[in-house]
Order: sequence, then structure tokens, then C-alpha cells
Amino acid sequence: MPEVVNLPSKVELDVPEVPLTSSALKAGAHHFGRQCDKANKEFMLCREEEKDPRKCLEEGRQVTACSFKFFNQIRTHCNESFTEHWTCLDYNKQEFRRCRQSQKKFDTCVFENLGWVRPELGDLGKVTVVKTERPVPEFDLRPIPEPTPRPIPPANLPASKTGSKYFFFW
Amino acid sequence: MATTFKQDMPPKGGYSNIDYKRMLPKRGYSGYTMFAGMAGIMTFGMVTLAMSNKQKRKWIQEDRESILGIMPLICAEKDREMLLRLQYNREQEEEIMKDVPGWTVGEGVFNSKRWFEPGLLDLYYLEPSKERNKLVMGFNTFTGS
Repeated sequence: MPEVVNLPSKVELDVPEVPLTSSALKAGAHHFGRQCDKANKEFMLCREEEKDPRKCLEEGRQVTACSFKFFNQIRTHCNESFTEHWTCLDYNKQEFRRCRQSQKKFDTCVFENLGWVRPELGDLGKVTVVKTERPVPEFDLRPIPEPTPRPIPPANLPASKTGSKYFFFW
Repeated sequence: MATTFKQDMPPKGGYSNIDYKRMLPKRGYSGYTMFAGMAGIMTFGMVTLAMSNKQKRKWIQEDRESILGIMPLICAEKDREMLLRLQYNREQEEEIMKDVPGWTVGEGVFNSKRWFEPGLLDLYYLEPSKERNKLVMGFNTFTGS
């Protein structure tokens, strides 16, 4: 019989979202991927291994906390250049190649104030090995039933009256 | 018979040659030069095409990496929103089905303890059709009938 699906309580899910538009998120995406690397990798590994969003809420909360910390740091130190950069992206179809000047300004500001370096092209997409303390989950999958045995044709079968049923070009 | 007439003879040195050959003016480049020029233009075009393709691939990679960077954040927020929506649905179910005897609220559809990703209609089936279409189809202009 199907069982009742247990859902996490509302207190666990009551986490504020990052109040930013897509352009702003995209403008800070490369630095975010570098700075919140550990939390991000942990969360994605959890999602991939557990295949259950209810078990990865703590990791998700950590990702959101890291993002809040990251964007607050940017706001305190490089608010102007960041705003310029993401408005440029907003007006230019969110294409990075159209906003190289503002990107350069933002990068220099971030490097001078916070010491962050933009990851090189191809750095974020690399496959990495993540060390965690979370044990590997075990799935209690249903056993696969054994395949039905092949029927054995009786001995001394009479020949077919209508000939062979193999189809070969008439 | 006295010679009172003068025999008509060709001029001294003979007649000039009859102009029967084609006399086309020689102009333009020679064939070899044109072949070489064409090969040069083609190679130039091919090289520029290859370089621009490489550059475009780099731009696409940069875009993809920006998406990769914020994917965990988006995924976490999405998961939380989905679970909140499921909770809301369960509350509504409790209220709607309170008079039905033998009804267990929040019963799973599958005979398994595994998590099954709910579809969009599983999340928004309680909304009126107009709202539901908006939520399910996103920013599409066509919202179904």
C-alpha cells in the first residue's frame, strides 16, 4: 500500500530568497561560483546522490546563506561598479561580450577591495572530487524478478502446412 | 607589237599580309594568377570562419559557466518552493476532503519510499485554469484553451 509522503515542516522551508534579478545574478555568477565553491559542490553532490530534495535542505540553506554573504560583501564594497555591470547586461541581452568595459571595472574593484579573482574560462566547468562527511546513501530497491524461462518446443513437430513464415522479398 | 601598256604588278616588296587572324586585346590577369588569387581568398575566408567559430564557442562556454555558477542557488530555492507548494496542496486537500470517510491525506501515488519528482500539474492542479496555465506555461504567450 502506498504510504503517506512525509514533508518537512514550514519552519525548515522558511528561508528568504535572494532578492535579485536574473541579470544581477548572472553578473556575479562567475565570482559566486568561485567564492561559494564548497557549499555549492556539497549541495549538488547531495542532490545527485540522495535524489531527494527533502534530505538536502541543510545544504541548500548553507548555499543561500553563502550567497547572501557574497552579495552583501559586493554591496558594501563595489556597489557602483556592480550596478553598472548588471544594468549593462540587462540592456544588452545578458551577453558578456557586450559589457567587457564594465566587467573590467567590476573585476578590478573586487580584486582591490576583496581580493577575488575571476575564474578563467573553463575553470568552473571542471569535474571535481568533493570530500564530505555525509555517508553514502543506500537505496532499498525492489529486487528484479527473474526472467521467465524460454518455452521448449515439443519434439517431433509436424511441418507447417502453409510453408515457412520467414519473410524474404516474396 | 609595241608595248603600249604597262602590266599591273604588285607593289614593291609584295602585298601586306591579309588580316584574317583574331586580334583580341590581351587584358586581365592570367589564368594561373586568377587561380592563385581564388585559392588565397578561399583560404582567408575559411580561416576567418574557423576563428569566428572558435570565438563563438568561447562566448557560449562563458555563458554556460555563468549558469553553472548560480545553478546550486537556483536549485536550492526551487526545491524549497516546491516543498512549500506541496505543503499548501496538502492543507487544501485536508480541507476539501474532510467529509469523506476513509480518506488518508497526503497518500503517495506510488508503492515505494523513493522520492518522485512532482510534475508542474501536480503542484498547481488546485488553481483555477487561467492561473494554472500561467504558472505551468511560464511566459509563453500561448496559454492553451
